[in-house]
Amino acid sequence: MSDAYLVQPDMEFIKDVAALGGGDLKKCFQCATCSVVCPISPDTRPFPRKEMIATSWGLKDKLVGNADIWLCHNCGDCSTKCPRGAKPGDVLSALRAYTVAEYAVPKALGKAVNDPKKLPFLMAIPATIFLVIILLAPFLTPVFAHIIPIMFHEGHEAAGVIAHSNFIPSGFVDMVMVPTFLWAVAIFALGLKRFIADIHANALLEGKTDKKTIDPVEFGKALLRVLPTILKHDKFNQCTDNRERSTAHMMVLFGFIGLFIVTSIFFVVMYVFGITGPYSQLNPVKWLANISGVALIIGSALMIKNRLAKKDSVSVYKDWALLGLALGLGVTGLLTEMTRLGGMAWLTYLLYYIHLIFIFCLFAYLPFSKLAHLVYRTVAMTYAEYGNRK
Amino acid sequence: MDKKYGVYICTGCGIGDALNIDALCATAKKARKEAKTHPFLCGKDGVEMLKKDIADGVNTLVIAGCSRRVNFDIFRFDGCIVDRVNLREQVVWSHPKDDPSAEIKNTQMLAEDYLRMGMVRVEKVTLPEPYKLENFTRKILVIGGGITGISAALDAAKVGYDVTIVEKGDKLGGYAAKVRKQLPVGQPYTSLMNPVVADKIREVESISNITVRTGTMVARIAGQPGDFTVTLKKPGEAIEFDVPFPLPPEMKVDADGKELDKDKLNEAYQEFNKGKNDILTLDPNGEKFGAVILAAGWRPYQPQEGEFAHLGYGAIADVVTNHEFEQIAAKGKIVRPSDGKEVQSVVFVQSPGGLDDDRDFDYTGSVTSLVALKQAKYVREDNADGKAYIIYQHMKTPGLQELFYKSLQQDPGIFMTKGQVAQVSQSGSELVVEASNTLLGENIKIKADMVVLGTGMVPATVDDPVINLAYRQGPGFRDNAIFNGYADSNFICFPYETQRTGVYAAGCIRRGLTIEESMEDASGAALKAIQCLESANRGVAVHPRSGDMTFPDFFFQRCTQCKRCTEECPFGALDDDEKGTPKPNPTRCRRCGTCMGACPERIIGFADYNIDSIGSMVKAIEVPSTDDYDEPPLRILGLVCENDAYPAIDVAGLNRLQFSADVRFIPVRCLGSVNVIWIKEALSKGMDGVFCLGCKHGDDYQCHFVKGSELASIRMRKIGEALASLALEVERVAQFEIAIDEYDKVPLIINDFVKLIEDIGPNPLKGF
Repeated sequence: MSDAYLVQPDMEFIKDVAALGGGDLKKCFQCATCSVVCPISPDTRPFPRKEMIATSWGLKDKLVGNADIWLCHNCGDCSTKCPRGAKPGDVLSALRAYTVAEYAVPKALGKAVNDPKKLPFLMAIPATIFLVIILLAPFLTPVFAHIIPIMFHEGHEAAGVIAHSNFIPSGFVDMVMVPTFLWAVAIFALGLKRFIADIHANALLEGKTDKKTIDPVEFGKALLRVLPTILKHDKFNQCTDNRERSTAHMMVLFGFIGLFIVTSIFFVVMYVFGITGPYSQLNPVKWLANISGVALIIGSALMIKNRLAKKDSVSVYKDWALLGLALGLGVTGLLTEMTRLGGMAWLTYLLYYIHLIFIFCLFAYLPFSKLAHLVYRTVAMTYAEYGNRK
Repeated sequence: MDKKYGVYICTGCGIGDALNIDALCATAKKARKEAKTHPFLCGKDGVEMLKKDIADGVNTLVIAGCSRRVNFDIFRFDGCIVDRVNLREQVVWSHPKDDPSAEIKNTQMLAEDYLRMGMVRVEKVTLPEPYKLENFTRKILVIGGGITGISAALDAAKVGYDVTIVEKGDKLGGYAAKVRKQLPVGQPYTSLMNPVVADKIREVESISNITVRTGTMVARIAGQPGDFTVTLKKPGEAIEFDVPFPLPPEMKVDADGKELDKDKLNEAYQEFNKGKNDILTLDPNGEKFGAVILAAGWRPYQPQEGEFAHLGYGAIADVVTNHEFEQIAAKGKIVRPSDGKEVQSVVFVQSPGGLDDDRDFDYTGSVTSLVALKQAKYVREDNADGKAYIIYQHMKTPGLQELFYKSLQQDPGIFMTKGQVAQVSQSGSELVVEASNTLLGENIKIKADMVVLGTGMVPATVDDPVINLAYRQGPGFRDNAIFNGYADSNFICFPYETQRTGVYAAGCIRRGLTIEESMEDASGAALKAIQCLESANRGVAVHPRSGDMTFPDFFFQRCTQCKRCTEECPFGALDDDEKGTPKPNPTRCRRCGTCMGACPERIIGFADYNIDSIGSMVKAIEVPSTDDYDEPPLRILGLVCENDAYPAIDVAGLNRLQFSADVRFIPVRCLGSVNVIWIKEALSKGMDGVFCLGCKHGDDYQCHFVKGSELASIRMRKIGEALASLALEVERVAQFEIAIDEYDKVPLIINDFVKLIEDIGPNPLKGF
């Protein structure tokens, strides 16, 4: 038995996962009902039974780099059917949160994002940045307009139109947001490099793949094969217990995608073609923006309602923080627009300020928050497709 | 008593529709008995009719209607002999109504035979009179002063019985007083508690009707329930009232292996037990007790050298048994035996089977699982970073102890998995435990400071008879090996009842138990002891025939001193003297009748159940011959055990399952009571076959009287040889096993046997 696995339980890991919403993990007595009832678990080496015992034994190394925990879509069938109330669905969710924090550097920030006590501090960062910009804008704008004119050719003052760039010049906003976005991308890139290596190593060890190495081209092709599944929510729709969540999740996802497209288009329009906003409400891009915003609000509100109604699953800070952010983004965004159209200048400026804080939080904390599943789950599903999970 | 007979035929429940009642009444008339019919005999009106007749002098009633297993309270008339003829379940419900045009009316013949059998039986039996002891004492002796003995003594004392606790050690408490903590005994069952035994000892000391004798053991218990004479002594002392032991088998033969004759045997026996008084000599200074509670407990299993070599026991100092671990824990913080280091991690191994099998250690049970959980908790209590691993094949946490298991599961430092422990080895100062087939899905290695083996609790009766009964069959329980040495007679049906009436086992002598379970067990045994006293004083059987007033009566003039009754009694009720004459001890007797079945001289019988009563019933069966019919129907006798087989037949009838009407059943107390003379009589009067239907025998026997069905099977084999010499086919006599819930098998067993007899052909002795 020279190949025996040396068990080294990490009790801190157990406590951390418990704190992230997996508080019932130790109740598991390994009956495997969860693996049987799970509608999306594969037939070979099914989850989450093995993840449950690995977690209760504190075997961090078997879990953090395990792609399987990302194949779970948290339907909750396992949790409702669990005879012991161990809530495997929530344990896997907690494991994912732990994994996100594990791969995102700096780790201290990851910890802070999952700690409700740190929320005021995290919010204070963008609040301060934008407050400083607001206060300094009258002095700095002429200077910057001179240095990089492409970002500062606005000038709506004369027409007496309410434009948010009058309050905070778009150039400054983007000088904050673009690097923040790039920071998120960089952190994801760093995290993914380790993540992919780890899940591949784990799959090799547990015999879940037939691939020896990762071929980037094939991996890309696998991603293309997986994307329709993700967009159509095929996996979500296999859930029996929590199926209504699929629609809500789809609304939020498409809301975000729509808004990302809108932002990208206007970014090009503004900086490449030099056409500044506000844009006409008749503009089809604006339509997309409004529809996406509404979808985001309705979707996130539905998910909040579902979570409040569901008594057999755990909702912890990480869940509420993300839903709060999504709803906050949508609500402040639309209200900003409505108050602008309604001519309430100072109210719309205030809402815009808050909206900017939310956007900053979205980008800056994305790699550390639950929203990182957007990247990790996609990669894990792609890997499962690529590696022919068995 | 002058018998005045009355025959009563109930025509309700379909009996009147299916049978020719007038012909039945005529059958009674032929036996010179007047039959009355009633459409609803168990109703108020019917019972009034019976009571009126009883008031008019009828004292011997034959009630033909439903099974004797129902309405037994309604048809019980004190001072009267009553026989219940089962026309309902075993005749009309299990057989079709006769075709009026048929020549042979099978169902009617069956009913008439049963009525004849019932009528002849009441002629042959008498009203029983209870056996009263000359001396009777209510005192209860408790052997063992551990938690079980103490609890039993308290329970019995609190309801007014005088109790003496005999404890071999120098103080009360037993193992329960030596543990660091004990498992919970009440809600919420989630945490360990200080041993409860100290409070119990204080309570014992405060109760005046409990006498405690420490440093004392039982030298012998002579006599019978209600009148035991007990000699006590100091451990290690040799006294003349030490109990004599029967000769071991190797001393019963001479140098050539030939069995010694009676005198030589007696001589060898005397020599073997030199200095000890015979069992029939009563100690004039002995103390009198009425019943015994055996709570002698257990000792920790001590592995033999090299027994668990793959687990490192004996070779590695830090591999210990759970008992050794408990001793370390009781002293304070848990430290390693090898270097005194405080332990950080401990692996508890619950099954030693290695890669071969999944058995647990010997003498273990759910208590062993719970002890592992308890000791894992010690590790966690001693050290906030401590880790306790439990590798088990079976995790047994019955009842509310499941809550304790659940609470331990919640502890982040306790890790459990099912698995096979392959090896324990030393690696530097650490131990490495290797296990495979774990729930973790692979072979694993765990590094630990200590390894604890979940070894068992060996009942005291493995080493020693403990009770030291001055019984001819020996001082201990017979064939105790089938219970792995535990003092028991049947694990499931009759807890506390040992193979010796008046001796009730409780606690870990019966099986491995927790302190909570032991205390509950103690109550059970105390109640049994009280039941014994309150039955023996009235001269009735204790169990399983509770309240039975009969007891075996011996016609000694014809006894040939063959000792068969003494040897075959499953309960050691008989002691023979040096000549071999049996001395009955009626309060030890359970009234199974095994002695009656064994006796070749047929001199043993009960007032209402004897060779003649059953033999006459056999003779009352009319066997049709070729004089009566061209093709006379077969007649087969079924001797059925009334405990399981008879109820199974009733239930078959209740479910309207049909079986051959050629079979006549006679209920017997136990197949052990079947005397082969009945079978011979049946065959010699022309019946075509005989079968016995009773309980399963062997290691997992279901016999209420332990050995009855087994003894019957031996006798049936022997009768087969006798039949062969009469040129009768041995297949004509058979024995079948049935359990009480196997009613669906009844028609199969019966019809298959009838088919077999049909194939053999009619009895050639028929008609002679």
